[in-house]
Amino acid sequence: MESQLNFNIENSFDSRYSFCARQALDDLPYSFTITDPSISGHPIVFASEGFLKVFGYSKDEVVGKNGRVFQGPKTDRKSVMEIREAIREERSMQINLLNYRKDGTPFWMLFHLSPVFSEEDGRVVHFVGVQLPILPPRRPRWSASGVVRNGANLCEEGDRVCGNTNIMFGSCRRELCSDTPVELSRVLALESVLDDSSRERHSLPRAGILSSSLNISLGRIKQSFVLTDPHLPDMPIVYASDAFLRMTGYARDEVLGHNCRFLSGADTDFSTLYQIKESIKTEQACTVRILNYRKDKSSFWNYLHISPVRNASGKVAYFVGVQIEEGCKNQDRNGLCPEMRHRSVVGAVKVAVRSLSMGAGPSRS
Amino acid sequence: MVTVKQVEDDNLVSKGAIPEQLKCPRFCFRDIRIPLYRFSSQSLLDDSPFEGHVCITEDEQSALDSLLLAQWEDKMWKGILRYDVTTSEIKVIFGRRKFIAQLNERLGMDYVPKPEPDKICGQGNLSEFQRTKHQEEFLFYVASGEMAIPELVPSAAMPDGAVLIIINEIPVEYGHVFLVPCGSDSLAQVLDTKSLEMVARFAVEINNCSFRLFYDCPTAGTSHRYFEACYFPSPLPVELTPVDTFFHEGRRGMRISAVTDFPIKTLLFESKKKFKRMVEVLVEICCQLQEKNIPYNLLISDCGKKIFLFLQKQNMANSGTLSAWECGGYFLFQSRSEFDQATEETMLNKLRDVSLDDEGFQVVKELCCSIADKFAA
Repeated sequence: MESQLNFNIENSFDSRYSFCARQALDDLPYSFTITDPSISGHPIVFASEGFLKVFGYSKDEVVGKNGRVFQGPKTDRKSVMEIREAIREERSMQINLLNYRKDGTPFWMLFHLSPVFSEEDGRVVHFVGVQLPILPPRRPRWSASGVVRNGANLCEEGDRVCGNTNIMFGSCRRELCSDTPVELSRVLALESVLDDSSRERHSLPRAGILSSSLNISLGRIKQSFVLTDPHLPDMPIVYASDAFLRMTGYARDEVLGHNCRFLSGADTDFSTLYQIKESIKTEQACTVRILNYRKDKSSFWNYLHISPVRNASGKVAYFVGVQIEEGCKNQDRNGLCPEMRHRSVVGAVKVAVRSLSMGAGPSRS
Repeated sequence: MVTVKQVEDDNLVSKGAIPEQLKCPRFCFRDIRIPLYRFSSQSLLDDSPFEGHVCITEDEQSALDSLLLAQWEDKMWKGILRYDVTTSEIKVIFGRRKFIAQLNERLGMDYVPKPEPDKICGQGNLSEFQRTKHQEEFLFYVASGEMAIPELVPSAAMPDGAVLIIINEIPVEYGHVFLVPCGSDSLAQVLDTKSLEMVARFAVEINNCSFRLFYDCPTAGTSHRYFEACYFPSPLPVELTPVDTFFHEGRRGMRISAVTDFPIKTLLFESKKKFKRMVEVLVEICCQLQEKNIPYNLLISDCGKKIFLFLQKQNMANSGTLSAWECGGYFLFQSRSEFDQATEETMLNKLRDVSLDDEGFQVVKELCCSIADKFAA
């Protein structure tokens, strides 16, 4: 539902950073955006005044949109793919990119992307994108000597531009990670957390935290489903789709970290619960009809399918639970029957999770 | 939001006289009824293939993607597949190229010779064709349509010009299927424009970056027009390698590039406008490669926007020795020890060993330019 999405977007910035941080960022003259990968569609949650001026949009026209709306017919697809890869791998990168203003005019910019890591659990909470308009690269993109991956050495202007980008980028990061303007030592300590060049963060996500790329992939699935982690105590929910929250009436933070049993109530059948437990224990998929309860205590029949989901190691990483509310005017847009809707979610989740924990070098068992 | 119009019966299938070509006995399976997905009438393959298409939004799973994943997972659930491919471990081989390795110990045990789909829609001894066995492997048909939006017909007989999607019971990756064009011109001996257009359109409408389509050129003396596809979990090494464009007509026309510094000689075809013409050019190039006995493979990636052409050296059997995903940098190993010991160097050698040489590559590049010029005129 739109209002929930809008709430998430407005809340994304304010729930993490103080009002002072917002003010400080508003004062910076540069063009930059902050995006939230945990919200479906990976939207912009903050756009600087500089950005609005460069692109010619108003704040309302930009917040909530994905960065691709500024791309156009001449934008190089390979560059877009490289940006997507950097987001997936949660690393910084810098590239020349052609974007379009509101009036449709194209312009080149040096685009710098960097993840912002949470101090508490080390996961990526936002991405910061900095846009620096530049002259068109001296040689066309498809030059005889090949595409330059990062665009940093295309011309001397590039060096100066990179220097400027780092300066402005540094000040963005500083503002974001301090709650109030603080002592240098604290800033330096936080800087080291955000210092992407020497990032030592381990590739496996911390307990219960999903990588931003998995979040983005799962965000494309519009049905109601949850992901639970069997390796954590009490097998908590680690992902819940917007549709699940709408169906059950809960907010995301009321659901994440909890076992699904909160959906059961007085009249929920024990044998069904037992059947589910047995399937999970034997790593099998199962389909059941179970009586569940919403936050407002009303009950509904849940046509539920649960399946194990494996990652790159070949072992079970999560279980996915797909819920279909019986009797509800099921507005399935794709013309699939309920069983098939279960399957399509399971398939999409399996594809998304398959690449997780893909280590390099000798295999671990 | 995309709505798919669901039609209860198959009145849309022409009930007129059966065309001459379809009377051939190989089409005896024509009355098998499975779901049918019809593309919208908006042609993807004219001037603006990838802009403003009504049924593709990047923010959500497309209808075709949902259908394919649902059908595939359903067959898995029903035990049609020989094994669960997601239990096969995968890893990136340490090195600059990021080759990908999969440990699949079941593949060797259950090996079934590849040309099986030919028995359905091509040559082959039809008496060997076990209809009941194969029927459960049929997932759905895909065909062109007349409506403004795509349609999903729950059950239909095969329409003209359809592509039949069949599950591969020994999958290389999740979602592995065969795409078998069953049009009235399936008597054609080589890769044809219509088939390539249909499968490219399929890739565009799946709109999932993990989804890749493949084609391995037929061995000498045979022909087939079936493609394969599956969902790969991460970028294939060839997709990350820089390219060097040597032909382009204007900013948005066709662009042909050589993939630089890749162990197997590879070309990349892209076109923002006039996609149909690029398909014609590519098909003509492949025909000529076949005449010159140069084995090749095709890889369609980035939701249909990129088509890679891998070139292998001529050999006695005149067939490619590597499959398209291997050319792209994804390798399967059947034993734990091979998997553990795989290095970037061995993978590089494997590709270099089958690659067309520099001289041959130059000839092919010139061929591409002359064919592209001919069509541009």
